[in-house]
Amino acid sequence: MSDTFIKVEKLNFSYTDDDGHDVPVLRDLDLEIEGGSLVAVLGHNGSGKSTLAKLINLILTPTSGKITVDGLDITSSELTEDQLFENRKNVGMVFQNPDNQLVATIVEEDIAFGPENLGVSSDEIRKRVDDALKTVGMTEFARHSPHQLSGGQKQRVAIAGIIAMMPKCIIFDESTAMLDPSGRREVMDTIIRLNREYGITILHITHYMNEAAMCDRVIVLNDGKVELDGKPTEVFSNVKLLESIGLDVPQTVEVLNELKIEGVNIEIDKLSVDECADEIMKLFGENK
Amino acid sequence: MIKDITLGQFFPGNTVVHKLDPRMKIILTIAYIVSIFLAKNMWSFIAVVASALLLVIVSKISFKTILKSMKPLIFVLAFTTFFNLFWTTGDVLLISFWKINIYLEGVVFSVMMILRITSLLVGTTVLLTYTTSPIMLTDALERLLSPLRLIKLPVHEFSMMMTIALRFIPTLVEETDKIMSAQKARGADFESGSLMRRAKALIPILIPLFISAFRRADDLATAMECRCYRGGDGRTRMTKLKLALRDFGAIILMAAFITGIVFLNLTPCPISM
Amino acid sequence: MIAVEIKNVSYVYSPDTPFRKVALDDISLKINAGKITGLMGHTGSGKSTLVQLFNGLVRPTEGQVLVGGEDIWEDPKKISRFRFKVGLVFQYPEYQLFEETVRRDIAFGPANMGLSDEEIKRRVLESARFCGISEEMLEKSPFDLSGGQKRRVAIAGIMAMEPEVLVLDEPAAGLDPQGREEILGGIRDYQRKKGNTVIIVSHSMEDMARYSDEIVVMNKAKIFMHGTTAEVFDRAEELSDVGLSVPQITELCNKLRERGLDVPHGIYTVADAKAAIMRLLGGKHD
Repeated sequence: MSDTFIKVEKLNFSYTDDDGHDVPVLRDLDLEIEGGSLVAVLGHNGSGKSTLAKLINLILTPTSGKITVDGLDITSSELTEDQLFENRKNVGMVFQNPDNQLVATIVEEDIAFGPENLGVSSDEIRKRVDDALKTVGMTEFARHSPHQLSGGQKQRVAIAGIIAMMPKCIIFDESTAMLDPSGRREVMDTIIRLNREYGITILHITHYMNEAAMCDRVIVLNDGKVELDGKPTEVFSNVKLLESIGLDVPQTVEVLNELKIEGVNIEIDKLSVDECADEIMKLFGENK
Repeated sequence: MIKDITLGQFFPGNTVVHKLDPRMKIILTIAYIVSIFLAKNMWSFIAVVASALLLVIVSKISFKTILKSMKPLIFVLAFTTFFNLFWTTGDVLLISFWKINIYLEGVVFSVMMILRITSLLVGTTVLLTYTTSPIMLTDALERLLSPLRLIKLPVHEFSMMMTIALRFIPTLVEETDKIMSAQKARGADFESGSLMRRAKALIPILIPLFISAFRRADDLATAMECRCYRGGDGRTRMTKLKLALRDFGAIILMAAFITGIVFLNLTPCPISM
Repeated sequence: MIAVEIKNVSYVYSPDTPFRKVALDDISLKINAGKITGLMGHTGSGKSTLVQLFNGLVRPTEGQVLVGGEDIWEDPKKISRFRFKVGLVFQYPEYQLFEETVRRDIAFGPANMGLSDEEIKRRVLESARFCGISEEMLEKSPFDLSGGQKRRVAIAGIMAMEPEVLVLDEPAAGLDPQGREEILGGIRDYQRKKGNTVIIVSHSMEDMARYSDEIVVMNKAKIFMHGTTAEVFDRAEELSDVGLSVPQITELCNKLRERGLDVPHGIYTVADAKAAIMRLLGGKHD
């Protein structure tokens, strides 16, 4: 793995509610994301995970703390407007509601929107749009209107719109939450391909644990702090803790954990059905 | 159902009319409207009607569609005909009964008015809305009006607003349908009662619709910011509009057409306005 | 007892146009009363149309819809009666809230039924309780609530109509695990206490396994399967043929069976799976 791409130090964020009280969302958060990694951020609603995403893109400004993205201190008071936009170009965002992030009435026009804002030349935009369409597998829909597409397809168009800006990192802010299972699969496949084939750093914010299990690293946020951080197998072994903060674990881990509680001597960090079956068969192999 | 209403109808195609530069089409449409109002006698009117028919044929839009689009116009046509027929006075009295006199001039005037309005409608819809995608139209409008930026008119902002409106109309129409069904499921009744009651019954639809529209606007603004949108300055465009040979051909044809109309107007003709 | 019966129903969208689409193709279905029936099938399988058929929002092109034995389209003028008998909660129902207070929003349905103020009040309080809405929340504006809370208010609004059949289209969509549990658990409690019929549309096999007594599977405008939860999840291969799956735990049991373990059929919860494995382990020790 390569160098640190995002570094978050002692990050605090709070907002003032209607009654004038300060409501803390993130508390002294420390985090490092390596360039080229595929990271899932898990947490229940209100755990601060979407806030973190918006801070990295400076849609929100932190109360205190420091965020460095690609070597640039984006929380510096001397940040110029050009640097701000440079950061937004580097770190793309895909949001939850696929309908509310498409601007144009034609798919390819929408994908062109980002590069057009960056002042890229017409020929270069054309090329980037065609490449982006191919990457997300939407070439045949280039001239369609967004409202003719399914949720998963719209979300892939939104991703293409970000890719066309050539970012180094993409943050998916619950981009699969409103999709049906096939749409979710389409988007997850695209996300993984962007990371594996194009080396784009991915931060995937979700509350589906099976999606988190597909990533290299899982960060669990709770109450504005990092609760767990590690490989999916390591993180999901903490069954009790995850359940206590309102998250699920895969059923494979759950059943192994139940067996362990009953006193069966068994490893519980098995995320896939096959690994889990192997582990259970071992029991019977030994007993035979 | 509301969903069936088609907005900003556009029929994709590959004809010469479709391929014309949208900026040129706007200019041509304006020129065409002028030529229609220049027509004064029978010869020039025949030329105007023929040109409208020719446009329909060349653009391969079916006559059925054209006739359908005329439907809302029937009332306007009937109205103007009514006035022209009964209130125009002249030398040749055709029919006279009770207090009503119909003159030949009135008949001529009515017919020409009908031809003028229908040609106007057919010409503009075929040249513009039916054969040009809405995004091309707003794009062309932005480029044509761009000199106005010098006098601080927000041309780019205006066309951005148009694009976003076009993008969200189908979404909001669908949403209205959904909210309506949801309130119907709660026993809301939109079909019966006095006008007042029916207006009140719309509240459960309008409030959620407004709230949703604001939420969407908010989301969209954030998404646009994230895609580095900062107004029209420094923005480039993917589609380059370049005038082709056919665009010059079209303008020459239009110039010839207008000259022809003027010439025909001067030709002696038994029927004229 | 049959709560809802669909008899040879077909439904065609935009007939006589190039966009003609058959959403339901000659289907017949009997939903048992007093049960939670899960309805699954992927997008475009016809389940959204089916759901709107139950309360008469959609009129079948052909066939009959019977609620409590009555043909709901016998007299189309009286169709609104069946909107109260069959309560329908749409997907993302929080977007239908419009009143100034939560209390008034929940009361909208009952008020449309022409009930007395006292009765409305009783129903609002009762359904609020099932949906975990506190008395204090009742006086708040629905727009000041969190997403999950709004969703519960919207569901309470339908429950307050005390429908004989409650239909929910993906009531837990987009929520985190805790939010899902709050909503689906609340619906189950309501069903167990009231003993009425509930139909839940869901994409989550795990939720289906946890909450439904029976499952209907739709595919390509037809009913593909209908049976108890155990029966349906025992047909893993057929389900995967139509792009659906079984809960992960059922998949595990199938795998173990393939590899020679004598795990019984029809297991779809973690607790049952654990018990089965423990039994087998015990057997080995004997």
